[in-house]
Amino acid sequence: MSIQTSDDLFIPASGSSPEVDFRFGAHTLSLKGESYPENAAAFYGDIIARTRAYLAGPPDHDVTVDVALTYFNSSSTKMLFNLFAALNDAAEAGTRVVLNWYHDVDDDTILEFGAELHDEFAALEFRDVAVGG
Amino acid sequence: MNYAEYRDFSASVAQRHIVFYYFGYFSQHVVSAMADAVRLKLEHAETAASTRRKIFSSFVEMAQNITHYSVDSLTPIALRDNQLRQGSVCIGIEDDRYYLMSANPVAAESVEALREKLEPLRTMTLDDIKRAYRETLRTEQPEGSKGAGLGFLTVARDASAPLEFEFEPAQGTDTVIFYVKATI
Repeated sequence: MSIQTSDDLFIPASGSSPEVDFRFGAHTLSLKGESYPENAAAFYGDIIARTRAYLAGPPDHDVTVDVALTYFNSSSTKMLFNLFAALNDAAEAGTRVVLNWYHDVDDDTILEFGAELHDEFAALEFRDVAVGG
Repeated sequence: MNYAEYRDFSASVAQRHIVFYYFGYFSQHVVSAMADAVRLKLEHAETAASTRRKIFSSFVEMAQNITHYSVDSLTPIALRDNQLRQGSVCIGIEDDRYYLMSANPVAAESVEALREKLEPLRTMTLDDIKRAYRETLRTEQPEGSKGAGLGFLTVARDASAPLEFEFEPAQGTDTVIFYVKATI
């Protein structure tokens, strides 16, 4: 059962931006779809700020992050890296953060970026989830 | 143009194996719609999934470069959202490989910076490119960049041959046409 709070962050998918379903009340954060907005810094800036504010709370819950992005452009890549840095900071400070990294089984680019995240953000509990095939 | 000329024009496009071509204003909506069109076309052509992904990625990077940096702009140059800028982009097949080309005017002052960015990529191996990509991912956003400084590296990573580029003075203006070609 998920607990909805007015502080949750939901942004529906558009043609070029992903669905953002960050249920801070339930400690589940989900990104799904494709990401190539015109201004990735603006799009992710707010999301990262809200996430940092949420993570500043007491580390009394596990956080589950589901990322199922089928495509992200270069500027989104940079912002995703910053988002995972924020999550990694929280993990280092004692919050258990599980990152489920969904990607098409033969999508090498997304697989490699996942491996990159796994290397860089060692405090995150990284789970590679290959889909399809 | 009469119907016969239009038929000739269409036949010459087919003969040149042009998969997609657009000349006009680039906005985020236009890029997103074109990306859908490109995807449909590639799926229909039964292109391998990994090739499709590389073409799609390079297409979006090149098209968004025009949205962000073409100096032929209907919207104020400093504007960061809802930009409308002119250029062209093309996808074709040559020697059984897909290639992408784009063209847009840039300020004459930008030429050297672009050259310094692109020239080194031409001699880098795929491993070099991936290393540079990982390093750039960890650095602060470069000044004047609307992306992450990762755009050309992303295209170079997906290309099977060195990126090609050219600058050509645009007649009667102080701008230069910037051409890029990526072979996937």
